[in-house]
Amino acid sequence: MQKTIKLTIDNKVVKATEGENLLQVAKNNNIAIPNLCYHKKFSPTGACRLCIVKIKDQNGLIASCGVTAKEGMIVTAFDEELEEARKYLLDYLLSEHDETYDATYTDEFRELIFRYGLDKKENRYFPSIVKELAYPKDETSPILSYDAAKCIKCFRCIKACDEVQGKNVLSFTNRGIHSYIIGGFDKWGESECDGCGECIQLCPTGAIVEKPHREEIQLNGDIKKVRTTCPYCGVGCQLELFVQNGKILRSNGVDDVSPNYGRLCVKGRFGYDYVQHHERLTTPLIKKNGKFVEASWDEALDLIAQKFTEIREKYGKKALAGYASAKTTNEDNYLFMKFIRLVFGNNNVDYCTRLCHASTVTAMLRALGDGAGSNSIEDYEHSDYILVTGNNMIDTHPVTATFVKYAVQRKGAKIVIIDPKWTPLVKDAYIWLQPKLGTDVALLNGMIREIISNDLIDRSFIEKRVDGGMEAFEALKELTEKYTPEYTEKITGVPARLFTEAARIYATAKRPLIATGMGFSQQVTGTHNVFALINMMLITGQIGRVGAGLNPPRGQNNVQGVSDVGASPFTYPGYISVEDANNRRKVAEIWGVPFEELDGEKGLSTVEIMQAAYDGQVKGMYIMGENPMITDPNLNHTEESIKKLEFLVVQDIFHTETTPFADVILPATAFAESEGTYVNSDRRVLRVRKAVDPPGQARQDWEIVAEIARRMGKPLGNYKHESDIWNEIAKTAPIFGGISYDRLDHQGIQWPCPTPDHPGTATLFTEKFNTPNGLGKLHPVDHVEQSEKADIEYPFILNTGRILYQYHSSTMSRRNKSLTDFANEAYLLMHPDDVDRCGFKEGQMVRITSKRGEIATVVRRSSEVLKGELFMPFHYPEAPVNKLTRDELDPYSKIAPFKISAVRVEAL
Amino acid sequence: MIQETLKTFKPEQQNLLQILHALQDQHPQNYLTEQALEETARYLKLTKSSVFGVARYYSMFSTTPRGRYIIRICASPVCELLKVNTVIAHLEQILAIKTGETSSDGLFTLELSECLGQCQEAPSMMINDKVYNNLDANRIKTIINEYKQKNHD
Repeated sequence: MQKTIKLTIDNKVVKATEGENLLQVAKNNNIAIPNLCYHKKFSPTGACRLCIVKIKDQNGLIASCGVTAKEGMIVTAFDEELEEARKYLLDYLLSEHDETYDATYTDEFRELIFRYGLDKKENRYFPSIVKELAYPKDETSPILSYDAAKCIKCFRCIKACDEVQGKNVLSFTNRGIHSYIIGGFDKWGESECDGCGECIQLCPTGAIVEKPHREEIQLNGDIKKVRTTCPYCGVGCQLELFVQNGKILRSNGVDDVSPNYGRLCVKGRFGYDYVQHHERLTTPLIKKNGKFVEASWDEALDLIAQKFTEIREKYGKKALAGYASAKTTNEDNYLFMKFIRLVFGNNNVDYCTRLCHASTVTAMLRALGDGAGSNSIEDYEHSDYILVTGNNMIDTHPVTATFVKYAVQRKGAKIVIIDPKWTPLVKDAYIWLQPKLGTDVALLNGMIREIISNDLIDRSFIEKRVDGGMEAFEALKELTEKYTPEYTEKITGVPARLFTEAARIYATAKRPLIATGMGFSQQVTGTHNVFALINMMLITGQIGRVGAGLNPPRGQNNVQGVSDVGASPFTYPGYISVEDANNRRKVAEIWGVPFEELDGEKGLSTVEIMQAAYDGQVKGMYIMGENPMITDPNLNHTEESIKKLEFLVVQDIFHTETTPFADVILPATAFAESEGTYVNSDRRVLRVRKAVDPPGQARQDWEIVAEIARRMGKPLGNYKHESDIWNEIAKTAPIFGGISYDRLDHQGIQWPCPTPDHPGTATLFTEKFNTPNGLGKLHPVDHVEQSEKADIEYPFILNTGRILYQYHSSTMSRRNKSLTDFANEAYLLMHPDDVDRCGFKEGQMVRITSKRGEIATVVRRSSEVLKGELFMPFHYPEAPVNKLTRDELDPYSKIAPFKISAVRVEAL
Repeated sequence: MIQETLKTFKPEQQNLLQILHALQDQHPQNYLTEQALEETARYLKLTKSSVFGVARYYSMFSTTPRGRYIIRICASPVCELLKVNTVIAHLEQILAIKTGETSSDGLFTLELSECLGQCQEAPSMMINDKVYNNLDANRIKTIINEYKQKNHD
């Protein structure tokens, strides 16, 4: 606990925390000392000198941003001399400043000009020389403009980019009065800038302003600001949307609240335009004679109710299934899950989690008792060792990556990366281990053996916290014995000296945090990979503390929440097995239905549902906000399956690659038109709030679901508002028991939160694991050769993944000009040696063929991949890489091996 | 060529200034090309703007093409007292350029400099690394001709 101190500012006694910055102390106490270059998000600069104060027993006027508050300090913040000096400084700055103002940005400098009466020319001492200075403008960036004539060189942008985002893309050029801010070689658009816009949000003068909607926005006018949660990845950044005339025109990060503390990435800041895109679905559509025709809600809903009822009567209740959606709210998904279990009468409900983190969740549930991240996102900042495995977080979870980079760049933490492909985080890595695709278990077993043979295990942790104690450990030791450095190097291709060092420093680190990702989980051996990782964690006792644990970041905004609220074939809300009769009895009571109506047999998972459709067992399907025709593996097979369905309902915000196969398409609301909650990667329940009205007749998902249920004679309940649904979720899922909308108003709460007075849980497993006996469980696992290998016919191994500017099936992301300006083209990465060997040229069209299908795209030379391995982003429908992937599943978690497909590449 | 020069330095950020000098010196037009800056940034794991900012901060570096020989003439008080202005005017005349420009044959760029520390023999100038003192019209002519001759051979 830090000490509280007292000091006096302008005769007022104020309290502060020891070590706090004097200017910040004044701000905290509403003493409005003017300042421009200071911001609490980064280190003080001392450039503008406006925050000058007098301090008793010290000489001169002192910039308070550079002073640490001390006990008993006596400070003068305002007197005639200080105010005169400030006015002089402002006047001086003003002389080289373009003072035109178009009300498209917040101008802190202009506010001070008015405060000091300098808006009146007669109060000024210095004439303007801004014309003579002929400052340049930089309009080369797709998302922002920089105007040096409006820049006061406070360097907030440089510090925002460097210290807050860890990118350091900005600098300044020239000297003295002629200096100005640059990106790249004085061309922002050709710099490394990835468009996060941190500099825009922190610029105090409007020198850096975003381009999108600048023609429309008028901050002097009628602007509504709505706080909500970002609809893209699972970080759950808090956004403030600026709404003018019913249109979203800007998105800023919300300062001071977790998980993002005001930070955003390019998608969070510029990716909202899809909401108001002209291609949004606005009315129900019914397929008649092969064509979609507009229909009324009544007609569409009645047809759906009738068809689903017919299928249930004709083929039995197991012939129906549904895909829930990681994009929509907990409330939407909870009702969808309730609909499947009550109205369809089975447990055939799943969603895309089966395609991304199912293996992680399965392994974590078995070994640790909870399938969610054990630590908070901001914990990365406090870790001294970060192991990033199969996780390209700078592209996939950019705001999480800012915390990781902070730990490395500012606090000296070490990052070890395990990835067959180069990722941008490698630049900050201490060690990069580049194993061959599909050899993770061998690599981790090799690391475990190194830890054991150096006696770096945590005996007391094993004895107290691990099921079977040292005996269980001995079994792991025996199994890993053969993974000598030489043997492991032979399998993985990673030099022994690298992974052995990585292992030793992991074991001896004080607060090591592991970030896993899709590269690790999307394999036939996905569950085994995570078991091996947890084995290493348990024998070293590196979990259950702030900064130590295992965090699998969730890919979509609400992947976590949809599992939490029970949209799963295996579990009810709160991860209670569908086979648990006591829980079903409890839920039946809450739902007011007979216990017998709730099916106690596990349902089908995502890919299994498609396979069952192929086999003719599933005849009718309800898909809410998913696009399996891009995201499911082995797409040709998926297409055959989906065509065999007798009746398909797709509920979405746009036409997708899946909607052509639907019989009825229903228009739903986008995030900014919805009320509800999401749960992010660190188990934080976050509010989603309506900012704009939905287009046309679009309705929020849960309302549509409830309406179909009612028309099928099984009403789901009487819900007037999303909070009514949430309150029911809190009753059925003990992990949410203490959370209500009231408590979420200012900031999210991390589950488990069992009671209304519980603060939520930032770090899991501090005292015990959540397994039945409270102990962690080791699962010794052996390396298994991949079933799909490169051979003469298919000589390359293809890996797939994501990029920063596109998002999953790109339905949303591609409808934002700001994002497509950065990246809008599919490609195949191939090692330069392979490109030369195959006789390809950069940018040449090639055909890629696997046993399951073929696609065409352009080839790019890249040493980011190993020889013999390839990489392709999966976002682009014109090159749907999942035509090539397998639907052979991990036996434990049913995840598909998106990361490993044998292919050949030929010139087109 | 750029890569070969880079490899003579350890890839440490503290070597940035020396690397920039080496790359500028090896270029026949005495400047830092965008390619040189880009490869330096990659070699030192710096962003483009960090390297560009440094290159533009120091007047010894140029990011635009210059002559093979950079004439830096001292414009500090002692040289000024000893009528360096007439020397500058003379240089401008025989090279047919203004201060800051490059002669049409691409040989000379004329720049002003702060004190060269040669006040006892002022006025002074440097041509690339070589210092010339006690300048007057005749001496200027001889020196410039020497360089022209050297280049001709």
